[in-house]
Amino acid sequence: MTAQRPSFVHLAEDAIGVKVADAAAARRLAARLTETSPALEPTQGLDSVFVQFDPARTDEATVTAAIEAALSDADRSPEEKAQPPITVRVRYGGEDGPDLADICARLGMSEDEFVRRHTARAHLVELVGFMPGFAYMSGLDARLDAARLKTPRARVPAGSIGISAGYTGAYALASPGGWPLVGRAVEPLFDASSASPLVLSAGRRVRFAPA
Amino acid sequence: MSLRVISAGVQATLQGRPRAGARRLAAPMAGPADALSMALANRLVGEAPHTTAIEITLGGFEAETMAALAIGLGGAEGAVWLDDRPAPLHRTLHLGAGARLRIDPPKFGVRTYLAIAGGFAADEVFGSPSTYIPAGWGGHKGRALQAGDVLDRAEPAAFDETIETPLTQRPVFGAAFALRACPSAETSLLTAAARAALFGAAFTVSRRTDRMGVRLDGARLDLETDGRMKSGAVYPGVIQCPEDGAPIALLCDAQTTGGYPRIASVARGDRHLLGQLRAGASVRFLLRTREEALADLRGKAAYLGRWLPDFRL
Repeated sequence: MTAQRPSFVHLAEDAIGVKVADAAAARRLAARLTETSPALEPTQGLDSVFVQFDPARTDEATVTAAIEAALSDADRSPEEKAQPPITVRVRYGGEDGPDLADICARLGMSEDEFVRRHTARAHLVELVGFMPGFAYMSGLDARLDAARLKTPRARVPAGSIGISAGYTGAYALASPGGWPLVGRAVEPLFDASSASPLVLSAGRRVRFAPA
Repeated sequence: MSLRVISAGVQATLQGRPRAGARRLAAPMAGPADALSMALANRLVGEAPHTTAIEITLGGFEAETMAALAIGLGGAEGAVWLDDRPAPLHRTLHLGAGARLRIDPPKFGVRTYLAIAGGFAADEVFGSPSTYIPAGWGGHKGRALQAGDVLDRAEPAAFDETIETPLTQRPVFGAAFALRACPSAETSLLTAAARAALFGAAFTVSRRTDRMGVRLDGARLDLETDGRMKSGAVYPGVIQCPEDGAPIALLCDAQTTGGYPRIASVARGDRHLLGQLRAGASVRFLLRTREEALADLRGKAAYLGRWLPDFRL
């Protein structure tokens, strides 16, 4: 473990962060920082963590010191892999996955084969971002490929599951969206009344199952 | 019961404290697009800067009081009519039950704030009463106000003072804005010409503008690279550069992460002005170092603090 000083990146005069190796490192740092400095609300990216602060209440040196301390703790914290995956039941194709037929036709694959491949392995929520409750998951079978829709849909129903460029995305809330949709989760992915409203929170391992 | 909406205009929402503490859900902060104007309206009725008020977009708002009410108006100056007689912004108005209040579209600026003594009651979602329409959170049933909506007061409050905002504390909006801005994480990806244009040329506010962001037309900003980057944090005030080279300044409903290069950030002290940028207005960005921006912020906060001691930029 080297005590090398991280290189900080400024977003603004009141927002600073660090680049890290990957999304897993970013999640570890954001989680650690949330524990150690609850007042600093970190924003996790795919290879970065940033914090915005009120210069009238704190200063940059205090923020960077907190990030540095959390960074060295995070390096020692355990990997996320130990957690068992959560199962999300999905209705594939049809009205719930209006782009599945097209995707399969382009891939020269049956819908059953697609579902078999999509449900065969665990996926990992790398990031919740882009829009409220949107889970961005790695672990997609390399054969399952689809490009973003040329014209995004004005409204994607809550619970919709899409794939694009090597990732699976889940829309926990209804929103506009440009991911081709392959299915829809049977159970809600968001519960506003819960203290942990997201079923698919960052770092969660997920297995999809046909409903 | 305090107020019945007769006409909500283009878009009127309840806004109050921003939604802090929910970024792990990728929840935008919401809250007022122009926090200073809302604070000034609240000050007229003895309320704290973030007490829940109505944010009115481009006027066209009409309402009837259901009870005696003290109200304060701040922000973009549309003509105000009280039972068809002209009434002022920037001064406490004491209305009896059954009074009709109308706010016309402003000539300059976008958003007018209507505050009441006691504040408006609103749904709290993730610790904030602010309306975020795309997710249906907060405010009045998670949506924009509609004709016929009846709004409640959060707390009964008798307020009989008449307060006037000092002339020197009233923001004035025109057809041109100059916003101080600092470089951001990907500013170095801009070509030299693009950087000079960003901090030199005038941009025009596009019609594609909402509480999420303001698109700017004008000089096309080119990047040295293909501009692809891994998604990372963005905040209100950050200026992104999408592939078409037309920058977007993010507002209060901004998403929490984005994948476009972050080429500048409007200085914290000037971000309230973003909420008043209307289609067709001209915008220039004045380059500041972070140290200059922080010094400007302290100076502006001290000045505003004389009238708004609890307000934080």
